[in-house]
Amino acid sequence: MSATADIDDAAYTARRAAHARRKAMAPWLLMLPALIIVLIFFGIPTLYMVRMSFNLHIDQRLYVPGLTFEHYVNLFSNPLFTTAILTTIKLALIASLATVFIGYCFALLVWLKPARWRLLFIGLALAPLLISEIAIIFGWWMFFPKNGLLSYALIASGLVTNKVSLMYTEFAAFVGLVYVTLPYCFFILLSIFDGIDKRLLEASADLGATPFKSFREVMLPLTWTGILVAFSQSFIWTMGTYATPSALGPDTLWTMGFLIQEQMLGKHNWPMASALAVVLVIGVTGVMVVTRSMQSERNNFHV
Amino acid sequence: MTAQPALELRNTLRRFGSVVAVNNVSLSVGKGEFVTLLGPSGSGKTSTLRLIGGFEELDGGSILLNGQRIDHLPAYQRDTATIFQSGALFPHKTVAENVAFGLRMRKVPKDEMAKRISQSLETVRLKGYEDRYPAQLSGGQKQRVALARSLAVRPAILLFDEPLSALDLSLRLQLRAEIKRLHDELKFSAIYVTHDQGEAMAMSSRVAVMNTGSIEQIDTPETVFHAPSSEFVYTFIGESCCLPVRITASGVQDKKGETIGIVLGERLAEGDCRIYVRPSRLRLISDAAALPNRLTARIHFIEFLGDVYRYHLKAGALELAADHAGSIGKSVGDVIVIGWRTEDMRVFR
Amino acid sequence: MSDTVTDAVPRSAEPLLLKMLALAFTVFIVGYILVPILVTIVMSFNDAAMIRFPINVWSAKWYADFFGSEQWTDALKNSILIALGTAAISTTAGVLCAWAFQRFHIPFRDGWYILIMMPLFMPGVVLGLGVAIAFGGLTIGDYAIYGSRELVMVAHSLWAMPLVFMLMEATFKTIDYRIVEASYDLGGGPVRTFFEVVLPMVSTGIVSSLLFAFVISLNEFVMALFLTDRDTQTLPVLMWLSLRSAGTPRLAVASVILALTVFACLTIIMLWYVRQLRKVAR
Repeated sequence: MSATADIDDAAYTARRAAHARRKAMAPWLLMLPALIIVLIFFGIPTLYMVRMSFNLHIDQRLYVPGLTFEHYVNLFSNPLFTTAILTTIKLALIASLATVFIGYCFALLVWLKPARWRLLFIGLALAPLLISEIAIIFGWWMFFPKNGLLSYALIASGLVTNKVSLMYTEFAAFVGLVYVTLPYCFFILLSIFDGIDKRLLEASADLGATPFKSFREVMLPLTWTGILVAFSQSFIWTMGTYATPSALGPDTLWTMGFLIQEQMLGKHNWPMASALAVVLVIGVTGVMVVTRSMQSERNNFHV
Repeated sequence: MTAQPALELRNTLRRFGSVVAVNNVSLSVGKGEFVTLLGPSGSGKTSTLRLIGGFEELDGGSILLNGQRIDHLPAYQRDTATIFQSGALFPHKTVAENVAFGLRMRKVPKDEMAKRISQSLETVRLKGYEDRYPAQLSGGQKQRVALARSLAVRPAILLFDEPLSALDLSLRLQLRAEIKRLHDELKFSAIYVTHDQGEAMAMSSRVAVMNTGSIEQIDTPETVFHAPSSEFVYTFIGESCCLPVRITASGVQDKKGETIGIVLGERLAEGDCRIYVRPSRLRLISDAAALPNRLTARIHFIEFLGDVYRYHLKAGALELAADHAGSIGKSVGDVIVIGWRTEDMRVFR
Repeated sequence: MSDTVTDAVPRSAEPLLLKMLALAFTVFIVGYILVPILVTIVMSFNDAAMIRFPINVWSAKWYADFFGSEQWTDALKNSILIALGTAAISTTAGVLCAWAFQRFHIPFRDGWYILIMMPLFMPGVVLGLGVAIAFGGLTIGDYAIYGSRELVMVAHSLWAMPLVFMLMEATFKTIDYRIVEASYDLGGGPVRTFFEVVLPMVSTGIVSSLLFAFVISLNEFVMALFLTDRDTQTLPVLMWLSLRSAGTPRLAVASVILALTVFACLTIIMLWYVRQLRKVAR
């Protein structure tokens, strides 16, 4: 037996410990860039924003350091802001419901259709994602007005005699919003559908269920989680949006996103803008938490 | 024997929380020896191998390679080379690049590298496959490249992690023979992990049978087979029938207390014990008459296994099986006598 | 297959109704998605200065106008530069972080995960506002951070990086860890193993990540609106600002150019991907 192997046991433990220390540092080094981005460019600004929402706003200065709740009070009492909050929620709710409904039908269609159509439809659904929101807004901007395509098409086909404008209506804003969030809903739902064995539907039909019954008893329960996720996704996004409703909708359609932008860039009232942002974020987080908890209750359904 | 062992494990210990995967295992592999770690899953054989390779941390004890301690070194600084179960070839590199990898890491000069690559590939009979990608190879070819990749590096010891388990039977037998041939030719030191007894017996200089983290017996394959040192080894290697009985003054009883019609050649001490015999060593009817140990049992059912018929028998609460080439003309329900020699039976308490 | 009982029952009209509904819906959805796209493309070739239908004269004059205008081409250049920067930053950060999660044990892993993913769920307005407030007026030496392209790159990474992280986390889960161990076993240290063995195995994931990040950044304008000034404004920002004032086909051209840039990238990626497949299939 070699004697040299037993000496310096301490040296070996020391070297092992040094190696272990280096290994423990490794993950943090790897995470560093991501952490810098998140902590410095998201964490700090968020804290800053929260702090800012308690600052004072006096005449034309951006903000004056202080501690006041006036902005929050204003937010919840001033009808200007309260209507904006309610409008935002209402718009988000309706748009999300519509998006999920349309998205569900679309995903169902693509899922049930044979493979050669699938690629085509997926490409189609991908299109709005690859286009900038501003380009989408502009596209509808040329469709809805008096001199837009819609009006021209209706007149040319003889359906109406006078020029029609749907521009600056709630409907136009609604159409635009659904357009932007539809792809996300579609892909979420499609991936859920792909996890379901089609033969379940066949089995259901074989046992005598009509298509509608099959849908209600089989598809709906299995896809419920997907519906929730898609809905919350859509809701969260539409809550925070401002460009589409403000460009396509009437001037009275004020969303929280729009107000934030206005208070920040228009009125240079940083504290107010921050307060609005904080309330928006809390609302969004609330929705996420609620949908999360609704999901976990249903998890035992998983096939 | 004063020659330096290629590998030495001294009291190695590996824990996973409260579970001890490798329990104070000591082992030494001489130069050119082919040692197999054999055992069921959970026996610690794979953990032991991974400790040697450096893929898991040692919780106690030490590991020496050619007399030098290596347990403080990470895997990439140890002079070992592992052949993994799935081959683990680099999918985006060609066969030649795969084999070159280890050589590049050891800074082998270019011309020497080219020589070794072509040598290794020729040894595993894959000359001409240099520019293929792993995706274009069959399972057996992938394993051979893995072998070449590890051989090229000329490590102090080769570590085999159940390399043939994922292959189908004929391929397994083929590669098994090839690894044996390579070992005879190149005389490398190796530790081979498997749960397949056939592999262990066919290829090894010594077999270490492992159970729940410890080595139960380490000996030549013949010794392990014919002279197992513990009940576990006996039952793990080859097939065996177990007869749990109680020896009393009035006779032999089964677990339920019924007396069994058994005649034993040697007197056994009183108390509970387990009698073991291998199915191949049991003789039936006329062949049994002359043997010192005999048992009367009823045929429960008959299996045709190709080479032999296996008769499953019941005697009271005892169940056993006896093999016989060709039919004995008896059917289910018949009572027959079976017998065995005293040297073919083992008793454990 | 069910036969006896149901044959005696008259076929219900439901399947036919469903088929017609499906067809109607298909027409609707195809139309819905294509309308703004087709309208934009068509309008970009309008010769007139007004946005109105019907189009009487067709020409590519507004394309020439776009490329002749310094303001607009600068905006395009800014967009592409920022998008490239975002792609580089977010992919690097996301890949390294995902690898850390895969390979190492991290205390409070779930907490860190939520933290990294959080910015993804924040509205662009909020993120833009936060960064603008926190970094407005900050200067490093002579270089003003606010209004710089680099700040926009990082702001865009707030969305892109979590996406890359999510994608790469899933991708890393699919690699055979034995292959990584094989690399260590043969002498490859951690850094070499990462670059020579791990990254090539996930190359598709990385390229997809770069593409995602690039597209997200290129098209984003809410955050950019808050964070750019006249010199660094991106094309979407310029388009938004011009929406009410300059309602000319130039905006349609800008939309088309923006979309073409995205498709150009997609095509490059597709070609690269096909080349990769061909190399292995031989």
